[in-house]
Amino acid sequence: MKEKGWTMRRTKPLAVVAGAALFALAACGGSGSDSANPESNRTYTGAAEVGKDPERQAPAADVEGATAGGTITVYLPGDPGPDSMDPTDGWSVTGNSIQQALTSRSLTQYAKDPKTGEMVLVPDLATDLGSHNDDFTEWTFTIRDDAKWEDGSPVTADEIAWGIQRSMDSDTFPAGPGTEYSQTYFSGAGEYKGPYTDKGKKWDGVSVDGQDVTIKMAKPFPDMDYWGAFMAMGPAPLGKASTPPDYGKHIMSNGPYKVESFRPQEELVLVKNDQWDPNSDPGRHQYADKFIFKFNQDQAKVDQIMLSDNTESQTALSNALGSNNYDRANTELGDRLIQQSAQCTSFLAPDYTKITDINVRKAIAYAYPYQDMWLATGEVPGVTRVPANSIMPPGMAGKHDYFVDGEQFTYNPEKSKELLKDAGYEPGEFKITMIYYEPDPLAVAGQKVLVKGMEEAGFTVKGIPVQDSPYNIWLNPDDKLNKTLNLRGVNWCSDWPSGLTMLPPLVRTGAAYNTAQFSEKSIDDKMAEIPTMPLDEQADAWGAVDEEIGTKYFPIIPTAFRNDLYVFGSKIGNPTGDGQIGAPDYKDLYVMQ
Amino acid sequence: MAQVGRSLTSDLDGESMSAQTAGPETLGHLSDEPPQQQPQDNKKAKAITGKSPMRIAMGRLARDKIAMVCAAVVVLFVLIAVFAGAICSFFNVSTDTVLPSQYLDTLGGGLPLPEYGPPNGGFTIDHPFGIAPQSATDNLAFWVYGARTSLEISFTATLFASFFGILMGLIAGFVGGVVDKSISFLIDLFLTIPFLLAGLVIAPIINQNFNASDNYPRIQFWALIVVLAGFGWMGVARLIRGEVLSLREREFVQAARVIGMPTRRILVKELLPNLAAPIVVSISLMLPTFVAAEAGFAYLGIGVTSGISWGQTINKATPFFESYPLYLWEPVIGIVALVLALNLLGDAIRDALDPKTRR
Repeated sequence: MKEKGWTMRRTKPLAVVAGAALFALAACGGSGSDSANPESNRTYTGAAEVGKDPERQAPAADVEGATAGGTITVYLPGDPGPDSMDPTDGWSVTGNSIQQALTSRSLTQYAKDPKTGEMVLVPDLATDLGSHNDDFTEWTFTIRDDAKWEDGSPVTADEIAWGIQRSMDSDTFPAGPGTEYSQTYFSGAGEYKGPYTDKGKKWDGVSVDGQDVTIKMAKPFPDMDYWGAFMAMGPAPLGKASTPPDYGKHIMSNGPYKVESFRPQEELVLVKNDQWDPNSDPGRHQYADKFIFKFNQDQAKVDQIMLSDNTESQTALSNALGSNNYDRANTELGDRLIQQSAQCTSFLAPDYTKITDINVRKAIAYAYPYQDMWLATGEVPGVTRVPANSIMPPGMAGKHDYFVDGEQFTYNPEKSKELLKDAGYEPGEFKITMIYYEPDPLAVAGQKVLVKGMEEAGFTVKGIPVQDSPYNIWLNPDDKLNKTLNLRGVNWCSDWPSGLTMLPPLVRTGAAYNTAQFSEKSIDDKMAEIPTMPLDEQADAWGAVDEEIGTKYFPIIPTAFRNDLYVFGSKIGNPTGDGQIGAPDYKDLYVMQ
Repeated sequence: MAQVGRSLTSDLDGESMSAQTAGPETLGHLSDEPPQQQPQDNKKAKAITGKSPMRIAMGRLARDKIAMVCAAVVVLFVLIAVFAGAICSFFNVSTDTVLPSQYLDTLGGGLPLPEYGPPNGGFTIDHPFGIAPQSATDNLAFWVYGARTSLEISFTATLFASFFGILMGLIAGFVGGVVDKSISFLIDLFLTIPFLLAGLVIAPIINQNFNASDNYPRIQFWALIVVLAGFGWMGVARLIRGEVLSLREREFVQAARVIGMPTRRILVKELLPNLAAPIVVSISLMLPTFVAAEAGFAYLGIGVTSGISWGQTINKATPFFESYPLYLWEPVIGIVALVLALNLLGDAIRDALDPKTRR
């Protein structure tokens, strides 16, 4: 999923090797409770691993003390929000967290466990979490009959099948999640191009029988229940009513809120949908009268509003906090400042075809000034960035707590020089060529610190300023500049708590975000084999592959696990984060009366 | 947009001035002032008869206290810019990048630790202006080199803009006809493009073509000068053209023509000396415009992004205006002091050169 803020404005911070998650995949993982977080006095919210509750019944349990009414204003600093609200197109943390919680239902969803307060996977439009055949090649979901659209008509199984069919259309929805999952696992993947591109062609991938929707797979897909929690796996009005791109501007809501007005990159106003029945939904609430989302806000301004605690900000929340205000917010706001694991890992990606010696890659890991980089790029070390040891983020089932070099990599210029010497390079002999994002002063400052740190550790660094998003260069194999680079970067967030959404997109041969151009056949084979293994062994198998990749090849260097900071106004009830997607928990918010 | 507005006003000033003043006669008659203006200074008036008009103006300028204070401020900034390296080594500071984590309070908003100076500690001799939050670089060194960048760019751009503007104005005004029409059209054309827009357009082009070059910061520097000068010459050109139009029909020019002086010589020897006043004025008002424009460009993330600039420091400092106001004030005071001094000095020079606006 695209990380929020993927097209940050000129003055906004972009972290890492030039680029915060401009384009990372989103968070649907269990959030970490482990404390790889020694310097912070804050703790993660959420559970260690995600649970499932197929029996969950509607309506959702009341939030204790919740009252109805009021307007909640959500500020999204430096975050342009989604351009289109079409559920099939939704693959950004910002868009999906808002729509999946408030307007657009799907087969399954995440909801708070009333006892533990953790997010669990529960049914949504389906009556359970789906049933599958033995080898996960056919999934059947029974659709509940009491869900309604905002115009009062019932949500039918045909409409859900139509929504699923739309997700096959990679050409019409090039930025949609279906490009990665539907087009990989569903029957006809690679051949059937979707209902808009292959007009009139029949597709046997999904079939409807009464209230049952059956999806056929091209290969085993044990994570279909998680994939079902994406709004792309939800209904769309039949026929012309849902023709893109118009539908993205005027979606039909089937959740507790409907769209009153939507101005992309500016504002989204949601009001109560009176056709939504709490007895048809096991996860959502409808406490506030209205939600106002304000995109592309100025961070400094929002910080001032949130810290002032005036009547305007009491019923508002912000999904980011400037690092310069962290100290003040931490002392003044207390529980209203929430630190949320974003289920994301940032990496340095040395080119596997050019930097062939593992010792050089390890030297880079020792030469990267972690703390200094975080500071210079406007992060709060130990809070919004914590040291990372593996590809899979904390809290993901099966994650191994291994260390590539026996201990956590820290900035250690001496060790880096030693490793370079072992590889046969004198200090200053090995040249790193990389790019950084020039329009952002924080990225420029970060690059200067990186050069300083790495040159002290025995490297020579040539940083090339670019004005385009670094991902546009890293991901373009034909780019002339890209061909000269031997160090890139990538940020990745999980789509659901499985190594399946973390490892193959980053290290499979030829994967789009494999910016290290890593390619080992044995690893490819192992990753292809895991989805066919028994379900309870898969998590551990992913962890084992993660460790094997790290210790044996070390193709990408994890630099940080990422956290977000949310600021809630003093009259917002139940201020918590949603660890599955890495966003505020919009489903359970209310205004204190 | 402020820069554009400014250049337009100075342009207008120039036009109105050309209507009132100018010309050798006016300057030559400086000493024959109407007696009612300075009845008590009759002796003095007598004493200055025989001085050249420029010297009279300079004398008047020297008596203007504000002008002298402003000149002193400008000279001070020029000295700071010229001796930036010496100043930094005297205070033992440098613009080198440091690894910030040892100097900063990581959980305290990235502010400097108390022992390294404000806002949480007292000033230290190691870093007289304190150190920057987030990057921990020395503020004094960045301020001093920021002054150098600012003055280097504004002086060079002014030089090019005024040279080109004067040249175009002279040619257009003197030659007239098709040449005048086409140069005037060129002026109008360039006036339609705000240089902010030009800067925004050119920055990515420069980046695309030269970003892999080792001289990238220098190329960026010169590109900015080209943008500023290339879109700042029109005011001078118009002003000079107007002046020349009124001068070329005068007797002394006619006479020079009659005796067969070549055009180049008429332009340089006859016309140019008579244009000294408007040229000095327009240059003195162009300088502060470019200082402000350079800072504005850097603030917007175009212009000198790979070097050191006050505008960039302001951009980085704005989020800290509450927790570390000094960091923001330093470059702001630098820009305000320099621009204000240059502007007031420019006004004073104009007053001194123009007897009709004398207070």
